[in-house]
Amino acid sequence: MLLFTLTTDAKAIVSGEELDSLLYAVATENRDALERLYRRTRASVYSFALSVLKDPHDAEDVLQEAYLAIWRGAAGYASRGKPMAWMMTITRNLCLQRLREREKTVVLPQEGWESRIPDPDTLSPEDKTILRTCMEQFSDEERQIVALHAVAGLRHRQIAALLELPLSTVLSKYARAIKKLKQYLQ
Amino acid sequence: MTDRKLNDKIRRAFEKATPDVLDAVLSECNKKGQGITMTTTRTKEKDRWIGKLAGLAACLCLFVGAGFGAAAYRVNHTVDATVSLDVNPSIEIQVNQKERVLDVIPLNEDGKVIVGTMDFSGSDLNVTVNALIGSMLQNGYLNDRANSILISVDGSSQTRGAALQGRLTAEVNKLLQTDGFNGAVLSQTVVQSEELETLAAEYGITRGRAQLIQEILRERPLHTFEDLAPLSINELNLLLSDTAGAAQLEIVGTASDKGYIGEEKALTAALERAGVSADAVAYYEIGLDTERGVMVYDVEFTAGDYEYDCDVNATSGEIVKFEKERADRPAGVTSPSAGGAPTGGSVSETDAKALALARVSGATGADIVEFKQDYDDGRLIYEGKIIYNDREYEFEIDAATGAVLDWESESVYD
Repeated sequence: MLLFTLTTDAKAIVSGEELDSLLYAVATENRDALERLYRRTRASVYSFALSVLKDPHDAEDVLQEAYLAIWRGAAGYASRGKPMAWMMTITRNLCLQRLREREKTVVLPQEGWESRIPDPDTLSPEDKTILRTCMEQFSDEERQIVALHAVAGLRHRQIAALLELPLSTVLSKYARAIKKLKQYLQ
Repeated sequence: MTDRKLNDKIRRAFEKATPDVLDAVLSECNKKGQGITMTTTRTKEKDRWIGKLAGLAACLCLFVGAGFGAAAYRVNHTVDATVSLDVNPSIEIQVNQKERVLDVIPLNEDGKVIVGTMDFSGSDLNVTVNALIGSMLQNGYLNDRANSILISVDGSSQTRGAALQGRLTAEVNKLLQTDGFNGAVLSQTVVQSEELETLAAEYGITRGRAQLIQEILRERPLHTFEDLAPLSINELNLLLSDTAGAAQLEIVGTASDKGYIGEEKALTAALERAGVSADAVAYYEIGLDTERGVMVYDVEFTAGDYEYDCDVNATSGEIVKFEKERADRPAGVTSPSAGGAPTGGSVSETDAKALALARVSGATGADIVEFKQDYDDGRLIYEGKIIYNDREYEFEIDAATGAVLDWESESVYD
């Protein structure tokens, strides 16, 4: 016998509206909502942090700090309709802070990007090619744009605003990166 | 491969690469999470509630003034919750606050068979559900091979809706355990959403079924709503079971897969097609999936220097898709699929381009920004992209028949 109970809370987080409601629940100190928000969005936060910092340890720290910042700051969330852009702004600020703390600009990671992958056995050869290409073959901006679009689902306009780049630059860099990735996957 | 499919693959790869720090986050929240911001929020919440309570009190005064007769009429005749039952028959039951049935509406042809001439007006909800389930069993809609039912509750009060959902689930569960029949019950509270309304109307299904499909799509982003809309609840349930680990679902059993050949036979069929012995397989994954409305076993494996991706019809065991690619090929090298020479193309490049352009009014050859030949399941195809009037169109065209195999369009700003 099979019995599922899909409560309202377990609904797919596919729209900004639903992410909005999770954020409002987090603002009332709802830990379940924070956990759900985390599970739905952690890959977006981590991939963007990793794309900026290129160091898996730093990106993991930012992943943790970002959800603490969201937990504390959800009450001040006012960007109705743009929850993911809000979360990515928090992530970017934490990354920039970390870069400043390093007192240097982007450096080559001490350890490979793959060192913090929780269960490498789950990666298919194709997954590995994708990750390797993103981390090793893309320029910094290409990597950030692809993470924000493919993983976090931001629109190109939102990415342009977040990264303070012209929309045309975002579009062309995204197209170039995707073309590159297709070549590596062939 | 289209950009959208590639984006899905990127997302899935990063999902697997993301470390889990939830415990650390929650533990830090315990230590530091009660900051000034949160205190302020609580105060605001409290103020808001005082306002709401004052408003509620005013409303209550007005309500009492209007007289109890009117109140009783509304309780008895107003739809307080809608319960939909989906198997393949789809039926909607409207109830009042006392859980008395106001109306039972069959939503498709199968639903009409189930309801027949029965009139449930004024009946107790449990009695009604009991009769409808009985009719579904009797008419063979619920059986050993298709044992799943979806109960969706859409209530005016979330608390009452959730309570009703719990009771109905228990009741139906009990009904489906009798006579040696093992049923599967899925239950959910329907979320109010314009998107769901639109999808349900567009595909002629209940909002509950639309919500279930969206739940599955979250875990299977390569599918579209259109792919899943024709499937029965049991088929959807099987897809859900396969991905349930990722979703927050309570699972007490399994959907029936007795109508299918089973994973072992599917793997054997795939290996036979590939001409690979089981010993040579280094890694494999197998799971139920759907391909153009047909249930299939998706078998992926690596052997030697090759990766194989094979779809086996879950009912007949027939191979419906077969792809073979060299693992980690160097950039720029395209290999044809396995199984001998690819099917030759009789549609020329010019014809293929014309077929694609015919779908985009006003576009010309100059708007085709990408165009190339590729192989899909041993079949020669043309793959390309048109950008015209701020929209991007991606297509795949069968080089033998000219059939458009894939067509996607989106704004270039998306």
